[in-house]
Amino acid sequence: MTHIETLASCLLEGDPDKAWACIENYPKSSGPDVYHNLMTPAMRHIGHLWETNEITVADEHLATATCDFILSKLSFGLGKEPTAGKAMFLCLDGEQHYLGLKMVDSLFQEQGWETRYFGPSLPLEYALQTAEKWKPDVIGLSVTIVYHLPKLKQYVEAFSQLPKKPAVLVGGRLTDLYDLRPYCSEDTVILKDLPETEKWIQNKETGGQQNGTTESNPSPPVFER
Amino acid sequence: MEQLNLTLPLPYLSVNRDGRIVSYSALADQWFDLSNGHIKSLVDAESINKLGRISSESGMEPIKLELNMKTKENPLILFDVYLQWDADNHAAMMLLPKDSSNEELIEKLMNIQYRLASTDFELLEKKDELEQVLRRMDELSGPFIPLSETLCMIPLFGDITANKINTISESCLQSVFRGNYEVVLFDLTAVGEVHADGIEKFIQLVKTLNFMTGNVIKLIGIKPNLAKELNHHHLNQWVQFNHSLKEELSTSLHR
Repeated sequence: MTHIETLASCLLEGDPDKAWACIENYPKSSGPDVYHNLMTPAMRHIGHLWETNEITVADEHLATATCDFILSKLSFGLGKEPTAGKAMFLCLDGEQHYLGLKMVDSLFQEQGWETRYFGPSLPLEYALQTAEKWKPDVIGLSVTIVYHLPKLKQYVEAFSQLPKKPAVLVGGRLTDLYDLRPYCSEDTVILKDLPETEKWIQNKETGGQQNGTTESNPSPPVFER
Repeated sequence: MEQLNLTLPLPYLSVNRDGRIVSYSALADQWFDLSNGHIKSLVDAESINKLGRISSESGMEPIKLELNMKTKENPLILFDVYLQWDADNHAAMMLLPKDSSNEELIEKLMNIQYRLASTDFELLEKKDELEQVLRRMDELSGPFIPLSETLCMIPLFGDITANKINTISESCLQSVFRGNYEVVLFDLTAVGEVHADGIEKFIQLVKTLNFMTGNVIKLIGIKPNLAKELNHHHLNQWVQFNHSLKEELSTSLHR
């Protein structure tokens, strides 16, 4: 069994101790690496197991809760004195897939950002209220289910009206599958994965170019049903 | 596509190999928009492949699988789908919506998980705090006291552990180097237990002091139980024993 499959099976068993041991045994130990090369593939593998009818959604929920715990433990004690800036993270209304978002939140914390993490399904009005009061420099959005995609435009447009003009980042599984440009505004940064996000943060700190993914993806014919 | 005349308590569809709906029950018509006549329009885009693959592999055995489906009321809702092929190459499908009480349980599970997690983190926080307090205590357990131009004293407090000696070593070495002392006294009067790894570190410290400064190092205030313990470690080549603070002070003052 690969490391990824081992972790997936620990998560499906709902055994946080075993899963934690599996993470500790992983040879590379930097946060982003564990997130990108171990935990994300493990959760994708779990998704694949559902598609092959080997597990149910209930199993997935248990694995998610366990993975969530591991993420909290990994990011515990990070970034005690944030200085880099303020960033808030949320999933679109109805979107329950929040693990990737949580990893991104940790990534920002690790780089010295003050963050607010709202997790799954945050209605636009609450997100706006917070953004108006707290005045973040960055707002990170995550979307996983195609059906939620139309809401993305609403969120992006609402955030672009904010007086402080925060940078709006969009991430999630769909960035890999479809061209999300039509659902975004010109300034929206689309980030495909964690390494790309890490690069963006580093560029932001050095004041470099901030385009995210520039080339647009060929869009598979999913909307043409 | 024809509606079955059968009263069934669950939505029922019969589908051919191409995915066309051949027949359906009244409830299927009531729950789903069947106008397209194709199973694809009822199943969420990302569940279609699953349905295709699993059903094509199933043979004539009945199977059960979870699919995300689109009803008239909900664009994305989870169903248990029971499926079986018959000899005419038609798949009979019974559609059972996932019980929402399941959701409640899952939510409760998540809450418990969350609470456990936060308790765990509170404990971790307390552990951090405790470690800091212990480190602080260690730091304060070996104060440096200059008694005269040539004499200084370091009383040790509490148990001699490796951590404690490590913690006090640096400041102790720095303080001794800074002055022109000839004699360094370690006062062990307030020492409780001695740990083997602690005494090893202590000997290292004494050796370092001895090599680097050439100072005479004396241990004072040794209690009988400590003497036994120290005896194993052949300290006499590095330090002198059999002195008391009183003696040391009077020699120092009368010089």
